[in-house]
Amino acid sequence: MTDTMILPRRLLLGAALATPALRGAKAAGEVIVRTPGGVYDDIMRQHVYDPFTRETGITVRPVAATGAKLIAMFRANNVELDLIDTGDKQLLALENMGALAPIAYDQWRWSKPEDIEPEVKKTYQCGNFTYATVLAYSKTAFPNAHPNSWAEFWDAGRFPGPRMLADAATGSPNFEFALLADGVPKDQIYPIDIDRALRAMTRIRPQIRRFWDTGALSAQMMSDQEVVLGSIWNGRLQTLIDRNAPLAYTWNEHMIQVQALGVFKDARNKEGAQRLADFMMQPNVQAAYAKQLIYGPTNKQAQQFLTAEEKARMPGGENSQRSGFYQNINWWEDNRDRVNRAWSRWVLR
Amino acid sequence: MSGGASVALEAVTKRYGTETVVAGVSLAIPAGEFFTLLGPSGSGKTTTLSMLAGFVIPDEGRVVMGGQDMTQVPPRGRGLGMVFQNYAIFPHLNVAENVAFPLTVKGAPKAEIQARVAEALAMVKLTGFEARYARQLSGGQQQRVALARAIVAHPRIVLMDEPLGALDKNLRFHMQVEIKEIQQRLGMTAIYVTHDQEEALTMSDRIAIMDGGRIAQMGPPREVYEKPDSRFVAAFLGEANLLDVTRDGALVRGPGGGAIEAGAGQGTTLFVRPEKVTVSAAAPSGGPNQLPGQVLHASFLGNVVRYAVDVGQGATVLADAVNGPGAVLHAPGAPVTLHWRAEDSRLLAA
Amino acid sequence: MPLSRLTAWLLLAPTLLLLVLVFLVPIGWFIGGSLAELGTLSEIWEEADAVLFSGAVGGAILNTNWIAALVTLLVLLIGYPMSYALSRAKGLVFTAILLCIVLPYFTSTIVRTYAWMVLLGRNGLINQILLGIGLINEPLQLMYNRTGVIIGMTYVLLPYMVLTLYAAMKAVDQRLLQAAEGMGASPATVFLKVFMPLTLHGVIAGVLITFILALGFFVTPALMGGPGDIMIAMLIEREVELTYNWPTAALMTIVLLTVTLILYAFYARISDQGEARR
Repeated sequence: MTDTMILPRRLLLGAALATPALRGAKAAGEVIVRTPGGVYDDIMRQHVYDPFTRETGITVRPVAATGAKLIAMFRANNVELDLIDTGDKQLLALENMGALAPIAYDQWRWSKPEDIEPEVKKTYQCGNFTYATVLAYSKTAFPNAHPNSWAEFWDAGRFPGPRMLADAATGSPNFEFALLADGVPKDQIYPIDIDRALRAMTRIRPQIRRFWDTGALSAQMMSDQEVVLGSIWNGRLQTLIDRNAPLAYTWNEHMIQVQALGVFKDARNKEGAQRLADFMMQPNVQAAYAKQLIYGPTNKQAQQFLTAEEKARMPGGENSQRSGFYQNINWWEDNRDRVNRAWSRWVLR
Repeated sequence: MSGGASVALEAVTKRYGTETVVAGVSLAIPAGEFFTLLGPSGSGKTTTLSMLAGFVIPDEGRVVMGGQDMTQVPPRGRGLGMVFQNYAIFPHLNVAENVAFPLTVKGAPKAEIQARVAEALAMVKLTGFEARYARQLSGGQQQRVALARAIVAHPRIVLMDEPLGALDKNLRFHMQVEIKEIQQRLGMTAIYVTHDQEEALTMSDRIAIMDGGRIAQMGPPREVYEKPDSRFVAAFLGEANLLDVTRDGALVRGPGGGAIEAGAGQGTTLFVRPEKVTVSAAAPSGGPNQLPGQVLHASFLGNVVRYAVDVGQGATVLADAVNGPGAVLHAPGAPVTLHWRAEDSRLLAA
Repeated sequence: MPLSRLTAWLLLAPTLLLLVLVFLVPIGWFIGGSLAELGTLSEIWEEADAVLFSGAVGGAILNTNWIAALVTLLVLLIGYPMSYALSRAKGLVFTAILLCIVLPYFTSTIVRTYAWMVLLGRNGLINQILLGIGLINEPLQLMYNRTGVIIGMTYVLLPYMVLTLYAAMKAVDQRLLQAAEGMGASPATVFLKVFMPLTLHGVIAGVLITFILALGFFVTPALMGGPGDIMIAMLIEREVELTYNWPTAALMTIVLLTVTLILYAFYARISDQGEARR
């Protein structure tokens, strides 16, 4: 999940170029961690940061920062963060710039590396939970039959009404769903045929009320019935449903994305950062925060701390194995420029 | 020649909140007259002028112009020429455009506008300044532009609000003459507001002296100067001796007990202008209006010597002696006798 | 000028130093560093050519100018009478109008935008009222399109215009207006021939400042616009935040900065003339 989950990244941009010194006289035992901010920090403080401090005496300070700010820090040789808790794609970009240190799996003492899902356990980053982009619909607009696949989402004749998809500003527009709607099998989505995806997008564009660029906006548009269909992060939608909004979603054809941890190679408290990552990956710790975030744990052993009901609400378990697919961030990272140029031209048409 | 129109105010009153600024003022100005509203600030003269202009609607009474009731008519319907305090020259227009303004807003034909602007500028001696802007003009030139603009449409009535207030003394005198000349040439009725009594006396056919929202006295300059009805008017129009006198039956006695005879009036304040008082070294001859005294000081003003004479009982009388052929100077401390003619003095209410 | 030149410079020095440190140095670092990545001057020129004349950037520049112009016009049309009312108002009424104009400044963009959603959304207040009284059958789309951008930007920029115009209107000598009236001008003529020309420099200054600010907008169009309502600043932000393509962002920044500075030079001249005339 990118920082747009809670805070619009553009608000942070202004501060990105003129960075005040985050670290004054730094306490010897402090880890500064980049997080998406907001409610996320509260949940993590309760289940990760405070227990970590009690265990080690090392305090944890969460700060917000956009991807550009992280890059700016690295380039300016002024890394003010130790641990980065952000979307896997952003970490891949940092990794490609040579900004990251390998995750010290061999030093772990709380978590077992072999328990981590292989898809998210990488040399320079380790996924700390998964989230899914799902197809959501309004039960008011579709009380009986509702779209159950992206092909049906694209079928405005059968399922009329305004809808929304993700904007490139979220990190990736929903090309995967466009291709699925266009008949591409799930296992042949990558490498994405950008032109084909955009052609499919063009067909549905008149029905698109808005391409959402922040999680908050997507939730607002669904709950206001501004749209009756949309792609949305499962946690965002579940929160609305739990508040009795007349909304629902299907797990069919959901896309799994990863939030991950990385350590700046120039971090001042690299060791503390590695230890915090280790601590965060424990099965019971993961289960506790995943439950509240409604996102999926990446430690296989965490499943045993979850009830069947809780598992049904999360990606990563059986739900995902049956009907989801992992987003291929390597393709996105390799095609960043091409995608954004093509997208900008396409939206301006 | 456009000639003038008569103007009248009939029992006009204006209040702001609880304060009555103009209280029942009536006046009748015949066509072609140069009429001046004179008074200290706060006396109501500017409000009176504003009611004539139409910027202020009176609470009571009527405004009549050329026989027509104009009380409720807005300014643009009154067809007046106006010269404003500080001139109010439009900074975004040049001299010609400024002067043309009253004609332009009426939609007069171009040729007529050109001719009239040229004529008005010639009259105020500003030919050749057409393309200049206010910021490029001296104070006197700006005043002329304002004057040209006021007369360009040949109004029958011109209102002028302290038009010379911002000019220095020499220029002011010069402009007084010019304004008067133009007014007479065009035969307009002019209503002029000033707080400068000399200016009022020089220019006006008649003057109304205002005090506290009322007209204290109205009349030709010489009359109001020489025959004031009140201490206020006497003191406001130049220097005046105002002496306390006592009544002893039919007799009136001055400060030293000497007999006083006055030209008119019944009060206990004796009014006489300093220039009407003669100073001599001779002892009193026993006639009326002779006061013995002692010179306090003598101010030499060139053509005139002003004496301050102590006449006893704490009273001082001013006397202006013309520095004519063979004039004698009385030194401070010298005993003198003051004298004036009965008809040059009046008894005013205290 | 009562202040000596030296004193004025000394008084300004701390602020200037701060501005240089906080704005100029980072911008210089960003532009310089990013362009250095491209290599030689000719390589920079090549990239500039490719970036600035690619479809998206050209389209965004056109969009930006068109939206900025339209918003400026609207802001002027709404702001002029508003400023006039403000310049005439006294006491409580004055405070009330001023508060209405300035209050939006104290609310965050996010809060403001959610307020707009409540008003302008498909099921928002305006659509519900219009549907309720039967004026429309289908909800109007007032948000997430060009209309939304225009409404949002007009609202945000209005105070700049109103306060600029207010200053110009307040400086108009009321006696000139009365004089014009006394010389036979109708209220309409007084307005057109005297008041308008006397406030013209304020209008020009207000138009320039509004346009300059509108050029650099990206929060409002991003939040209230549709997919096609991309302005140049949004494109810059995307190059910085999404593609990490800083040289491209630097080139676009130079273009935007240059245009802004040129317009600002005009603005500074106009306001100087306005000062001098008084």
